[in-house]
Amino acid sequence: MRNQDSSNPKLVNRLNRRETRSSRAALSITVAAVLLLAAVWLAVELTLSATGNAALLLPPAELAQRSIALPATTIPGALIAAGAAVALLGLALLAAAVLPGTKARHIVANPRSAVVVDAQVLASAAARAARTEARLAPEQVTCSVGRRRLDVVVRPVTGRAVDTAAVRAAVEHEVAGYGLRRALAVGVSLNKPGDKHGAVGA
Amino acid sequence: MNGTHRGLNRTLLGALGAVLMVVGLAAAWAGASGSFARDWAMAGTRAWAQTQQQLAEARIPGTGTSWWTVAAFAAIIVAGVLLVCWMASQDTGRSNQLASREGAGGNTTVDTAVAAEAIKEALAGNPQVLSAKAQSWKTPGTGGATGLKISVQVRKGASPAEVGAAVDHLVEGLDILLGTRLPVLVRITSGTRSKFARTERVA
Repeated sequence: MRNQDSSNPKLVNRLNRRETRSSRAALSITVAAVLLLAAVWLAVELTLSATGNAALLLPPAELAQRSIALPATTIPGALIAAGAAVALLGLALLAAAVLPGTKARHIVANPRSAVVVDAQVLASAAARAARTEARLAPEQVTCSVGRRRLDVVVRPVTGRAVDTAAVRAAVEHEVAGYGLRRALAVGVSLNKPGDKHGAVGA
Repeated sequence: MNGTHRGLNRTLLGALGAVLMVVGLAAAWAGASGSFARDWAMAGTRAWAQTQQQLAEARIPGTGTSWWTVAAFAAIIVAGVLLVCWMASQDTGRSNQLASREGAGGNTTVDTAVAAEAIKEALAGNPQVLSAKAQSWKTPGTGGATGLKISVQVRKGASPAEVGAAVDHLVEGLDILLGTRLPVLVRITSGTRSKFARTERVA
């Protein structure tokens, strides 16, 4: 056991950052597999052509000549479409490389450990707080959590009054208790069954 | 918490993306502009002629193949091996040992299973927790020190504050038990099991 204090804030930050962002592992494996397949095929074709055997699809020399003659032998429209598709694929890979890839997770401020909570956990906990305050059934309250916002939608049955301010206060109190690193703005909205056309009894 | 080289992943994906974009745009441009298509064919034909010449000059005596072909083959094989290494480097760094210390009388190691069992046991009675597991990983940025990852799957509506406090308490106990403060990552998750499990109506 090392006698170092491994719970320093820098390390906790690092763990938090890694846990809330995508590692691009799945995409990397997919891309590597496709490239590997191409490399194996090329190696096989090279071997076959060097040993004078028939090619699987086409020999390397013909591959080179065909790609040279590509603009002359292809319909311009098809070439433009195919080129655009390849360029878009490249753009997607570039985007995956550059964009942060933030996951739907939130960091809880904690001096000892890195604590990361799924947004779904926060949403269901906030929904529970809201429905306890408004004394509603679980199906009547839904909650969604984004990166900066937490939105609660309350759908009470007809004729039942719900104190939105009290629900908001209860949810805010609940969320404040989580000690999230990035505070969430709480929004509470009422969705009465009679409010929208033909939704009576829905 | 794992040892995935994220920078490498992003660099390689970005490089490949740039190459695909250039190739795609060149193809689209060749389709749109006749003069660029002619340039493409001209440059390609010249390059192919040069390649043919190079291949002929470096012919392996007694055969029809060139040393260049052998070199290309070797390069492809090396690239393939590197690709396999790239794939294998994802999600690495899992370890079975939580901590170890060398002493005069011998080595003492603590298996991860010890901590995992203790944490599972401690959280088994918690009505908000569906399941708990602990894994240890060689944590990047610590010089190869092992870190503990505690994943707790909670019931719908469970309070992250209460579950977090319970886990904090466990981590404190573990710190005292091991006599060292390991890097700890706590994940409070909801999964498919949470979706179908009964809501805990404690409030």
